[in-house]
This record gives sequence, C-alpha cells and structure tokens, in this order.
Amino acid sequence: MVTTPLLYWLNVLLNNIRVLLSLIAVTLSSAVYAHEMTPTYPKFTQSYMGGVSVTTMSLFNKRKDVSYYKIGVFTDEWKPVAFVSQYAVIPMLYLDTVSFDVYVATQTLSSVEYICSISQLRAGATIESKICSRVK
Amino acid sequence: MRTKLLVTSLLLASCAPAHAVDTSISGSVQTRCLITTDTNGVYGNPVPSKLSTASADGGVVPVIRYDVTLADAYLAKVTTPTSFSTSPALSDSVAWTGSTAVTKTTDVGMAGYEAAKVTYGSTTQFDLTVAGSTWFSSESTAVYGVNKSFVGGDYSAIVLAECIAK
Repeated sequence: MVTTPLLYWLNVLLNNIRVLLSLIAVTLSSAVYAHEMTPTYPKFTQSYMGGVSVTTMSLFNKRKDVSYYKIGVFTDEWKPVAFVSQYAVIPMLYLDTVSFDVYVATQTLSSVEYICSISQLRAGATIESKICSRVK
Repeated sequence: MRTKLLVTSLLLASCAPAHAVDTSISGSVQTRCLITTDTNGVYGNPVPSKLSTASADGGVVPVIRYDVTLADAYLAKVTTPTSFSTSPALSDSVAWTGSTAVTKTTDVGMAGYEAAKVTYGSTTQFDLTVAGSTWFSSESTAVYGVNKSFVGGDYSAIVLAECIAK
C-alpha cells in the first residue's frame, strides 16, 4: 500500500515519456521539404549588353535534402536553348532564397518558352522536383 | 484657483507629445507553385522478386504536395520511376509499374482532378485549375526477372514531380 503513490507517479512519468517519444517520432516522420521558383511568367528586358536580353528569377530552397538546383532554358518542344547565368547549377543552403539572372541572345528570345529549376539529389533521396516558369 | 490652473497647464505642457508614426508592412502575392515532399517513399520487399511502395507490401507511398496561388496557371506532372537510381549490380531486367493519384485537396473544386488526369508512359498529368493545395500519392512496383530474387543491397528510385506553367 505504501508503494501505490510511487507506482502512480512512475506510471504518470512513463506516460509522459511515451507521449514525448510519440511527438518526436511524428515530428521526424512528417518533416516536409519544398522547392519554389518565381515569377511564373518572367519578362525579358534588354540587358546592358547589346543583343542580349535578361530576366531575373528567384529560387527558394526549403528542401534539407537538396543543396543544388540546375537551371535550364527550353523551347516549347523542350529543346534546350543556350543561355548564360551566374551559375548553371546554383548552390543553395536550406531556407536560402537566391535571385539569378538569365541572359539569352535577343535573336533566340522568340524560341524561349520555359525557364526551369531542377533539384539535384543526393544519393538516397527519392523525390526530384522541377518547376518551370513560362515566358509568354 | 489660478495656481491650480497654472500647475495643470504646466503639467500638460510638460507631457511629451505622442508622435504617431506609420509603420508599413509590405509584401507581395504573386503566382507561384510550391512543390513539397510530404513523405519520402520506402520500398517494401513482400516477396524476393518484388519491391513495392504499397502499404500492403510493407512499403511507404511517397506523397507530394503542390501549392498554387493562382487558378489555372500550372500543370502538375508526376513521373514514377523506370529505373533504380542506386542498386547493386543486376543481371536481369526489371519490370516497372506505377500510378499516381490525388489523395487530398483543400478545395471542393479540385474533386475532378482525379477523373481528369492524363496518363502517358509513367507520367501522370493533372491540370491545377483551382488555387490551393493538392496531395498526390505515387505508388511504384519493381519486379525482377521472372520470379528472380533481388540481389541483397540498398535500392532507391526517384519520383519526378514537375510543376509547369501553362
């Protein structure tokens, strides 16, 4: 009978530990990671160089499992278009936002349809994300 | 009486005037698509020749969430794997099957997404005609040879989630 309160409190303690462990498990299993690129409809303008047009894109990395994003410029038939940017593959930290310029020769501008960012995965990652903005 | 008035006036005059300053909070809402990996997939190995993400096979189905802020601006494309990104050396062919389905939405207007989906090859395309969030589950199965046992080791495959502006 003397041990009853002690057992009661031990039980309460164990329950609390159980709840805490469950919460930790849920938090670990429900970690979400995201990838975002804006604007959706970029507009090219004349750059400081003659014959070269430029647009500025913004990339946001909320994927802990991704540290690099590859940039691509494509036609409406998904053929690659030559472009210049600060990086072809942008290094990004978790929760980093990076603005980057995309330069395209003005004479090829009419063929540009999509600007895409594609996550570069580490071994073991299972979901590759790709976001494409459209040049209208 | 005059003294009281004088003291009151002095006290009022000595009070620091309250300066109203406008503090602005700025922000912008623009069209955007956010791809979120809600759940990473895991392959179960119910029989030696099969790897599957189906929960009935002991796997975990990958779940991807798409958030769009403007209606009718994006297409969601989800492509199930057709090869392993990492695996031990395999000497026989692997037969892949996969499917993607809408599992949850935030708007009743998205109820028609599943019926309107277009599937070609291993890719399933959804027209995101309503602003909000949509969750997609992407099951995949790999069967090795003809009842051959998969070689021991680690296997992983990649689901491609695309958000393409219309």
